[in-house]
Amino acid sequence: MTSVLAGASFDASNNILAPLINGIANGAAYGLIGLGLVLLYKSNRIFNFAQGEFASVGAIVAYVFTAGTGVLPDLPYFVAAFLGLVAAVGVALLTERLVIRPMFERAKVILVVGTVGVALLLIGLEGLLPYPKAQALPTIGQVFGTQDFVGRISNIPILYQDIAKLVMLVVLAAAAFLFFRYTGTGTAILAVSQDATAARVVGISVERISLISWGIAGLLGGVAGILLAVPPSGITPGGFTGTTLTVAFSAAVLGGMTSLPGAFVGGIALGLIEAFANADFALVPGLSTVKQGAELAVFVVLLVVLLVRPRGLLGREA
Amino acid sequence: MAAETQVLSPVAAASRRATPTGIAVRALAALPLLLLVLLLPLQSQTFGQDASYAAIFVIVGLSMNVLTGYTGQISLGHQAFVGLGALVAANVVNTGIASPDPFTFAMGMLTAAAASAAVALLLGAVALRIRGLYLALVTLVFGATFADTIFTLPSLNGQDAGVSAYRPDAIAGEYRYYLFALAMVLLCYYVDVCVRRSKVGRGLIALRDNELVAAAFGVNVLGYKLLAFTISGAMAGLAGGIFAFRSQLFSDKDFLSVSGFNLALTFVVIAVVGGLANRGGVIAAAIFFALVNPFMEWFAGQTHWGTFYGNNKFYISNVIGAVLLLQTVILNPGGLGQVIRPFARWFSGHKFTLHDPDGGAGVGAMEGSNVRA
Repeated sequence: MTSVLAGASFDASNNILAPLINGIANGAAYGLIGLGLVLLYKSNRIFNFAQGEFASVGAIVAYVFTAGTGVLPDLPYFVAAFLGLVAAVGVALLTERLVIRPMFERAKVILVVGTVGVALLLIGLEGLLPYPKAQALPTIGQVFGTQDFVGRISNIPILYQDIAKLVMLVVLAAAAFLFFRYTGTGTAILAVSQDATAARVVGISVERISLISWGIAGLLGGVAGILLAVPPSGITPGGFTGTTLTVAFSAAVLGGMTSLPGAFVGGIALGLIEAFANADFALVPGLSTVKQGAELAVFVVLLVVLLVRPRGLLGREA
Repeated sequence: MAAETQVLSPVAAASRRATPTGIAVRALAALPLLLLVLLLPLQSQTFGQDASYAAIFVIVGLSMNVLTGYTGQISLGHQAFVGLGALVAANVVNTGIASPDPFTFAMGMLTAAAASAAVALLLGAVALRIRGLYLALVTLVFGATFADTIFTLPSLNGQDAGVSAYRPDAIAGEYRYYLFALAMVLLCYYVDVCVRRSKVGRGLIALRDNELVAAAFGVNVLGYKLLAFTISGAMAGLAGGIFAFRSQLFSDKDFLSVSGFNLALTFVVIAVVGGLANRGGVIAAAIFFALVNPFMEWFAGQTHWGTFYGNNKFYISNVIGAVLLLQTVILNPGGLGQVIRPFARWFSGHKFTLHDPDGGAGVGAMEGSNVRA
């Protein structure tokens, strides 16, 4: 109750703006990870629990080439970021070849358990490899040598990093949407996901399609990792899996597991829900007094969406 | 020509005829195993503690076996049930640093199992309506959310300092406590066997293999799933209660965020690596994963890897679990259970053969299930 009273003495607009801006910024992160989840669900009908670690791999490889540790060459930011993306795609392709391909004919649950195994393995390897831990990539502002924020809205800084995340999310979601709608490869991926045997009959190489879809998922993960691994959170082995992945899954479900624009909508929506659940003023009485009000809100949203509208806001099939 | 009904000698029974030599040989072979289980924990306090830890893992493994192996439902949030059991047991007994009387202790264990069963029932009533892969997602988010919201309540976790859980005098020693845990393992094993052999067990296997067909044959799909979920929750709660009194302290930190997530994944790994729906395999896998860390610690201490191991304990166990999990799902779907099956069959009185006459029943767990999401 005290928090409600304390909130009333502040400027009301400031009080609403802070969670609004934070929510959109976090939501962009959920959307970026969620995009890869949706893409793999759309193409393979599985949940990829390793998506967060694809992001970590991209971020860590980009980091070791910018850090100037002496062992590896100290490269310009964009070259290092490119190498990070290559590494993320490489790990995704390896996952497809070594784990997914041998289990093509198996039940989807087993495939999902396989991706959990990949996530566990990547977390372990990231932790064991010798490089400086608990570091962060430079922000966009640091790369260009400017200040970190564009300006302030009622004293809340608008970060370049958050704008970059949001723009990248919109661009990637739109690009992936257009890819599935207008290109032959995109259509082929959808055909394989609907009926692999029939797709094979009309001459689509199911193996190649699977490799392509995992490669794209790796690329999306890498982009997300490089954009998200900035201060204050930075890079920790398993960091994305522990914090972002569960919310990103809920976001993807909310937006619709089969809809790429849905990943954007769901991500932003869930970011806002979290931010308002943790806000100083109580939208739901008592929620901000629970230690993990935001987490509770995410769980309730996930449950309600799955029970009431399993296809999500923008998804098409059940 | 309506001939008289000819009574054939039961073929199955013929292959497991109990001869005195057969029983004697098997008893002799079982003796070292029995001695290992009963005498090794007697060696030192640490051995006793590790053995209790293994017993706890076996109970959780059996709990996963009922849920994942028989019912084909996957739970990535089982640490919440184990943690709730630990929390409830410690809070119900709540005698501070005085040892409780046996009755209070028994009530603590009972309420631990009951509380986890109740929460599992509630979650299942909502979540089991959600089909297929989405259930894995819901349990994942549930486990993290439940632990982070309930276990962190200051009134339940001893104002963040933990709740002390002293054992009653009769089982205060490490070895005696291990024997108590072992008795609980036998209880859970018995429940598991009963579930599998009953009408319920056959119903569960049927709905695991094909929900629609099972429903068409009159299996109450939602009801049976709910029952399996509740039994699984009760076992996990009991394991949690034993866990709290093993370390003599309930600490919410054991079940929160990364350590909780890791615990949940370890439980899934046990169920899969052990072999789905394979009791013996799951027990072997549970013992392995409970003891791998103490063993590695001892081994690293003997070599110059000690510091490296100490710093990277968490990641090393991740890699071990992940490699075993991946090799199981990709190359060896039957899991550990498939490997030890010839020996398990021999012990149960059959002839020793490497060719599996059952065709590996249970290997197909979750394979043919209608999990298409």
